[in-house]
Amino acid sequence: MKNRSLSFWLFLTPTLVALALVVFIPMLEGLFYSFTNWDGLSFTKMVGFKNYIELLHDKAFGNAFWFTVAFVVVTVILLNVIGLGLALLVTQKFKGSSFLRAVFFMPNMIGGLILGFIWQFIFSQGFDALGSALHVTWLQNWLTNESTGFWGLVIVTVWQMSGYIMIIYIAYLQNIPNEVIEAAEIDGASAWQRFTRITFPMIAPAFTVCMFLTLSNGFKIYDQNLSLTNGGPYNSTQMLAMDIVNTAYNANNFALAEAKAIIFFLIVAAISLVQVFYNRKREVDL
Amino acid sequence: MKSKLLKGLGAVAVVAGTALTLAACSNGSSGKDVKITILQGKVESNKQFKQIAKEYEKSHPNVKIEVTSIGGGTQYDPVLKTRISSGNAPTIFSLAGPADVKQFKSHAADLSDTKAAKDAQRGTLDEVKSDGKTYGLPFNVEGYGFVYNKKVFEKAGIDPKSLTTYAKLDAAVKKMDAEKGKLGIKGVFALPGKEAWVLSDHLLNLYLGQDFDGNAQKLYNSKTMAFSKNEEMKQMIDLQSKYSIKPVMQMDYAAQVNQNFSQGKAAMIQQGDWIYPTVAQVDSKFAKNDIGMIPIPVKGEENKLPVGTSLFWAVNKQKSSAEQKAAKDFLDWMYTSKAGKKDVVNTLHFVPAYKGYGNVKMPDPLTQVVYDYSKDNKTTGWAFPGYTGTPWDPNVAQPNLQKYLSGDQSWDKTVSNMKSGWKTQQEGNGSGD
Repeated sequence: MKNRSLSFWLFLTPTLVALALVVFIPMLEGLFYSFTNWDGLSFTKMVGFKNYIELLHDKAFGNAFWFTVAFVVVTVILLNVIGLGLALLVTQKFKGSSFLRAVFFMPNMIGGLILGFIWQFIFSQGFDALGSALHVTWLQNWLTNESTGFWGLVIVTVWQMSGYIMIIYIAYLQNIPNEVIEAAEIDGASAWQRFTRITFPMIAPAFTVCMFLTLSNGFKIYDQNLSLTNGGPYNSTQMLAMDIVNTAYNANNFALAEAKAIIFFLIVAAISLVQVFYNRKREVDL
Repeated sequence: MKSKLLKGLGAVAVVAGTALTLAACSNGSSGKDVKITILQGKVESNKQFKQIAKEYEKSHPNVKIEVTSIGGGTQYDPVLKTRISSGNAPTIFSLAGPADVKQFKSHAADLSDTKAAKDAQRGTLDEVKSDGKTYGLPFNVEGYGFVYNKKVFEKAGIDPKSLTTYAKLDAAVKKMDAEKGKLGIKGVFALPGKEAWVLSDHLLNLYLGQDFDGNAQKLYNSKTMAFSKNEEMKQMIDLQSKYSIKPVMQMDYAAQVNQNFSQGKAAMIQQGDWIYPTVAQVDSKFAKNDIGMIPIPVKGEENKLPVGTSLFWAVNKQKSSAEQKAAKDFLDWMYTSKAGKKDVVNTLHFVPAYKGYGNVKMPDPLTQVVYDYSKDNKTTGWAFPGYTGTPWDPNVAQPNLQKYLSGDQSWDKTVSNMKSGWKTQQEGNGSGD
């Protein structure tokens, strides 16, 4: 950090300028607009905290918030359990483990929109056909009510992202020095003991990274939401990002949408910071 | 690599230089070159508008027209706003009703003195009139009702034209439902529960519009919403939903029009003349010979078709006067000149919103129905643009109607939510501006 020479600033400045142009300035501008009655074109006056107060009474925002929180809780748990499980599986020495890695990672290569549309077809046509063939009613009408819509979103997200999380876990798993494991084996530790006492603490930094990724990604999800359910039926599966976009573009209330976006940012930032802080404390150094 | 890049740059410089000199030359020779840009919201007519623009350029060599089309209604406004705020505002843009007029008033010129405005059919300018000025010119008129499958009705021995009351429709629907197998259909209707606008814009208009004489401005300016005919609307939703191909909540526009109706699986669907190109793409023979449209039977408005305008042309008043004049001339030419009229009907498949088209033959059976009804003055209100541009539509009407349709909310609650939502919005509007 002491090395603030000319070259330091020379290399940093372009990045700083870019960051300022596309992140900081728009954010400040957004903050400003959230106190006006901006309609996307111009504003006629400052309205103070009116948008923020209105937001408190906005039922759609409340619904979207709790729906998103539930979604984040479920996907963070599932993604990390499944991601770690897959990572443990493919780091075992057996034939085809690298092939499996590719297979598990594959869904991540498909864009969220396309994935959503593919799964929408599977849920509405595939499940429907299967349901009517087997006379199982709960398989039909998938995506047409809130609860199955919720699980539909969870399935698609987990299916897509677990391969990516797996890759991160693999990287950390492979960093564990073999001597430590061997020493434990010689001392007579069982596989379970080796996992809980050595592997688990050693990959604590991976948890920090993966929890952060899954958490922030879960909050920010939009494309799968759009293509899979489009918030329907009756906006019951609308997540926060979608609610903000719809407030701005469908309901044409740009100022309120800005206020929502600011609150959204604060919530995600606060939760992520707390999470990183706590996970960091649990990390061990070699 | 390096030399290639340099060569590329050189080429670009040369081309740019030539273009500049050319531009300078043509500027020098004619002196009054005008370029107008058009940004419009009817993406299905993109190709046709470009074709018409090219034709116009041929007969008006000093005018250059650039057409950009943005798809699917809801996405249009943000693009227009972005273009305006980034200093790249179009000369001609489209407006979708009173809410848009209010938003873009500072950019829309008064078009009362254009020839097209004088030729516009009675009532078609109501939605875009404000403080004695006319801010838009109608694209066309559209109409909707029940689009039916002629063969199915023939087989069932029912004359679609006779279904002028709810009771008659109800009886016919029940008869067809009982003979589903024989008629070869999966359901009498195909109701797209996923597309909330089919109920909230078009069906709601028939029952809500009556309280406002079918006038969008009146509805847009009203503080309250009586919704006195809501019981009749409930009947119609229930009928469509009960006898529709299931599951209703899973059906979207594509499933309704492409997969079910165009393939003969439904006897009729609630849609408008704009579905013709889609049906024709699936089965052009079927589209040409076997479909027709009847009005949705509404008490007091029997045998009347809702006909009106969804989009209007506006001219940007912040552009130079030469550019504005060229834009107005182009619109006048398109709707009032002989060549333009031909294009409107035959190229665009538009039902004209203007006088002086004589007894034209429309190019497809659905627009022909709309044209006939509007020519005979057998039309009913088109009030929904009074609420489609407001937050009430996506935030209140659509979710509540969907909630009722999926059986999660009573009709009474649906109606009261819609009424109180409107009241809250209109009160906010009053104090907000």
